[in-house]
Amino acid sequence: MTGDAVKAQEIFQATMHELALRSAGGELPSDRLWLFRDARGRCLEASESGLQAEPIEMEEHPVKASAAAQMAKLEPMQLAIWISGAPEPQRTALALFYLDQFDHEDLLTLAEVKTAELAKLIADGRQQFQAWLDITIPHEAA
Amino acid sequence: MLVQCAPFNEQRINDRSMRAAVFRVRKADDFANQQAFDRALAALVQATPIPAEVEEWFSKETMVAPPRWTWKKTAQNPAILAIGIAVAVMAGIFIFHIMEHRHDFPGVETARKLLITASSSRSVLLDPVKTDAGALSDLFFMKHRLEHYDVPPEFADLRTLGCRVFDDEDSRRIAQIWVVEKRMQFFLFPAERDAKTGAVRGFSGWRYVDQEGWTGVVSQRNGVCFMAALRGPAKDLAPYISKGK
Repeated sequence: MTGDAVKAQEIFQATMHELALRSAGGELPSDRLWLFRDARGRCLEASESGLQAEPIEMEEHPVKASAAAQMAKLEPMQLAIWISGAPEPQRTALALFYLDQFDHEDLLTLAEVKTAELAKLIADGRQQFQAWLDITIPHEAA
Repeated sequence: MLVQCAPFNEQRINDRSMRAAVFRVRKADDFANQQAFDRALAALVQATPIPAEVEEWFSKETMVAPPRWTWKKTAQNPAILAIGIAVAVMAGIFIFHIMEHRHDFPGVETARKLLITASSSRSVLLDPVKTDAGALSDLFFMKHRLEHYDVPPEFADLRTLGCRVFDDEDSRRIAQIWVVEKRMQFFLFPAERDAKTGAVRGFSGWRYVDQEGWTGVVSQRNGVCFMAALRGPAKDLAPYISKGK
């Protein structure tokens, strides 16, 4: 979400601190997704205060069968930076979707979008990432 | 639309509509590409290094608590829905049955059959007798040996047009009287008896019965039932009974 490991760790600690305070006060959140909701909120706040990515028209390529081979050449941090540069709520949708911890309903709840919007955000994200892959790691290189 | 955001991990498919959408496209090449793409991307996400002090807080199993059981979700399950509808229909039939039979009394089936007889009877079928209905008890006893076939006092003063005695399908002796007033018909028939002991299954007071637009009011005395029947609602018979009281 942040594309910055240090910032991410600070947010994580702030969220856990908040949870500990609530727990001490006997006010444990009843929402089972509270941890992720709180962390996402803090990520959004943090990203608003830092450098802002310029809104640009992203190129889109159809998803290819060779994409897996292209991705094998990537570093996880490259993906993290790419996702953190996506506009909201696409960034949240992609981050949570590929975290592989949530079902469809949870994703809709956390990203605060409807099914149609979530589908478009993820489908567009795939094609944009494929286009970026094609530029960064051409098929021949993969 | 659902397919575009379909989880690449089958364990994350928890809702029916998503499962159905994935099932429909599971053999399509585009979907296979999409799933391979998503899995490769997720593998990259999984490979993201996590600081040790963060990682120790979580194990994969405890990241997200399972969703809570709710009545709403349970009610939306097709199997539960089908069972619910079936139970509701059965309950409806049961209640309808109870409501339909709550005013039943011993002999009600015979009374209903006789209402059908009343609806199809013509006065020419009867032997013409012009007298008070109450006076026919002697005729039934003397001519047909029918004991206690008495018209109750509430209807005894009504003038008759004719009468007859016939056997019904169960060989029971039925007396039928046609009166002038409101083209009413009276029926006298044996009261229902207990199959084992032979004792009369009696009831007290007047009981209403209706069938195909005809209404009857029935009483039982000395092992014989009396029914006054007319075409119309129960309120047309009510004044006669209240007069008797």
